[in-house]
Amino acid sequence: MMGRLLLTLFEAMAVFFVLFHLYSRSPAFTPARTDWLRPRAKLSLLLFFTGIAILGTYLGLPLAGGAIANTRAVGAVLGGMLGGPAVGVAVGLLSGAHRLTLGGFTAGAGAIATTLEGLMGGLVHRRLAAAAPDRLISWKLAFAVTAAGEVLHMGLLLAVSRPFQESVHVVQGIGVPMILANSVGAALFMTLLRDRHERYDRVAAATSARALRIAERTLGPLARGFDRSVAGELASIIQEETGVGAVAITDTETVLAFVGRGSDHHRPGLPIASPLTRGAIERHEVVFADGEHAHYRCAVSPDCPLDSAVVIPLVVDGAAIGTVQLLETARTRFRRLNRSLGEGIADLLSDQLLRARFHEQKSLLVLTELRLLQAQVDPHFLFNALNTVHAVTRTDPERARELLGHLSALFRKNLKRSAPLSTLEEELEHARAYLEIEKARFGDRLLVLTEVDPALLGLRLPTFTLQPLIENAVKHGLGATLGEATTRIRAYRQGAAAVIEIEDDAGAYAPRPGADGMGMSLVDRRIKNLLGAEWGVTVSCTPSALTRVSVRVPFEERAA
Amino acid sequence: MMRAVIVDDEPNARAELRALLQASGEVEVAADCGNAVEALQAVRRERPDVLFLDVQMPVVDGFELLGMLDPDGQPAVVFVTAHDAFALRAFEESAADYLLKPVAPDRLRRTLERLRARAGLARAAPPLAPPLTRVPCLAGRAVKLVPLGEIELVRSGPAGVHVVTAQGELFTELTLKVLEERGGLLRCHKQHLVNPDRVDEIRPGDDVEAGAAVIRTRGGHDVPVSRRHLAQVRERLGF
Repeated sequence: MMGRLLLTLFEAMAVFFVLFHLYSRSPAFTPARTDWLRPRAKLSLLLFFTGIAILGTYLGLPLAGGAIANTRAVGAVLGGMLGGPAVGVAVGLLSGAHRLTLGGFTAGAGAIATTLEGLMGGLVHRRLAAAAPDRLISWKLAFAVTAAGEVLHMGLLLAVSRPFQESVHVVQGIGVPMILANSVGAALFMTLLRDRHERYDRVAAATSARALRIAERTLGPLARGFDRSVAGELASIIQEETGVGAVAITDTETVLAFVGRGSDHHRPGLPIASPLTRGAIERHEVVFADGEHAHYRCAVSPDCPLDSAVVIPLVVDGAAIGTVQLLETARTRFRRLNRSLGEGIADLLSDQLLRARFHEQKSLLVLTELRLLQAQVDPHFLFNALNTVHAVTRTDPERARELLGHLSALFRKNLKRSAPLSTLEEELEHARAYLEIEKARFGDRLLVLTEVDPALLGLRLPTFTLQPLIENAVKHGLGATLGEATTRIRAYRQGAAAVIEIEDDAGAYAPRPGADGMGMSLVDRRIKNLLGAEWGVTVSCTPSALTRVSVRVPFEERAA
Repeated sequence: MMRAVIVDDEPNARAELRALLQASGEVEVAADCGNAVEALQAVRRERPDVLFLDVQMPVVDGFELLGMLDPDGQPAVVFVTAHDAFALRAFEESAADYLLKPVAPDRLRRTLERLRARAGLARAAPPLAPPLTRVPCLAGRAVKLVPLGEIELVRSGPAGVHVVTAQGELFTELTLKVLEERGGLLRCHKQHLVNPDRVDEIRPGDDVEAGAAVIRTRGGHDVPVSRRHLAQVRERLGF
């Protein structure tokens, strides 16, 4: 009798197990733990576990006198543990009420016990859900709670159901099998759930790791803009990382890059032929042809092996500027995972393109600022220079002619130089014109020492790098002392870098917004824009003694 | 003949102006100076009628220099600058005129006419010079600008005016009158000023010769208070 009973109960468990499995894979079941507390998820839990509990009653073994050996407890305890006290009690009440309708002298005790078991599960949930949700999904805990619940059930049976003699008999017969079967059933479900969670976490981790790797690898190429060669690199990176059959990148009219299966006839430069792509661009919407309900149809070649595709628009500043497409052949099932990955990639690319565009506009702005700076002639300098020429004409007309020569050379260079890069020699030449005039103005008070490694004269610098820095050094040096001021200009090699140092002996540098700091930050930004972020201008200052502005740029040995 | 002092930090600019002034036949250039400190010395020494003053100069600019000149016997001031950005301010400082470099001889002639006309007038209104905030002092050959707040007291003697700070005693070209009127230092004795913010205590003098009272500064220096200035000192210090 006991053996047959146990077998029946475990048959019920087997049915449950199949149902759990199906439920845990269905969209109604969301394994994300935080979702448990949402009303919709709670309703889903309530309906499922009420069903399980009622099924537990039906799958049980009716005994003489209307008692039923059953597995109702599993549904109530699990409903409570996963959904909280309200869900647990509701499952208990509903399945208990159902049990009452079937009658029998143990029905009342059974209904009360099931409700209490739901409550027990719920209390465990309340205790652990917030503090340690991981400990909630434990087969040991489920086993223990269910076992305790069933022991309580048996106790209630003895306490409530009459005649007492009959109750004792029933408990002797079904007690152990029911405690065992229910506990094992609840524990089984928990192992299944834990398994699902771990798998989900693993997949999520792998997906985000892959997305991050793509982000990292695409940053470099994207900084160069968005053209055919950059698109080609991006497509290769995406295909390598996702392992899909093919990856395409288009702008709004033509294919920029195509990598993978079908690249023999999907050639970069072809106009966009696919209605899927046009749809994605027009509606700013992800278009998915899963290869089952909708197919990707190649418009170029009838032999194209590609059958499914996800086409994601690249939207920058509210306008679609192209698409990224992941494609798969007919024989390979398109994984849903790749669809969300594709969306992530498109988001990422859109962000980076937006940044690249911003960057480009910024460099334009810098160029404009530079023109302003170049064209801007300090009126003090100009009129003082003219006044000096005026004075010198009186005593030394030949010298005055020289000074006028320097002055016109300086202004001509300010106005004319438009190439983004100049050689160090040209830069020094420009500065020399300026320094000659300043020396004439201030006489003995200004001493300029220049020490330049001749190997560096061909070094390329952003145009107009030295002039503003030297001008600052001279102004600060002279302005801070009643005596002499020394300005030093040095250029030397330091490994793969060339360093140009401009020093004054005033040590009056204070980073001020606006004022003459503008010249320096502008020079720094231009170097970073043209040569890379690792280069640029740094300032060190020993108050009242020294301000040193260092310009670091890359130095390449080149054939003379 | 008007006597002039030229102040400009560019030697060629000084030479040019000197040549123009001499060519006018109306002006004798008593001195030309390359900075504000030299200018203070020259003005004291030469007592010129007019000062041709560059605005942009190292360390102490033309406007600040104006605030350091003794109002007694202050020369007329003509600003000479390369750029007219300062023109309005120059007139607020009640300059006699304002010249742009390079200076045209005709324009200079008008300036000299204006100066002659002014010479007849008693120079009633002293220029509204900016308040004095730092005091140029000589420390050996170097020039030090001492912030007014660091000064404990100022003493005038046969060797000139000396400023006493926590760091020591320094010679200055400024007069007691400038330091009192422009700098807000308190006159407590014919030959002494004290910084009211640095006064620690005031006690009756133990020696009648020394004065009616003695002020002890925070730096521990004693400053005599004369009978004549006692009431004024008490009022200012709120005793």
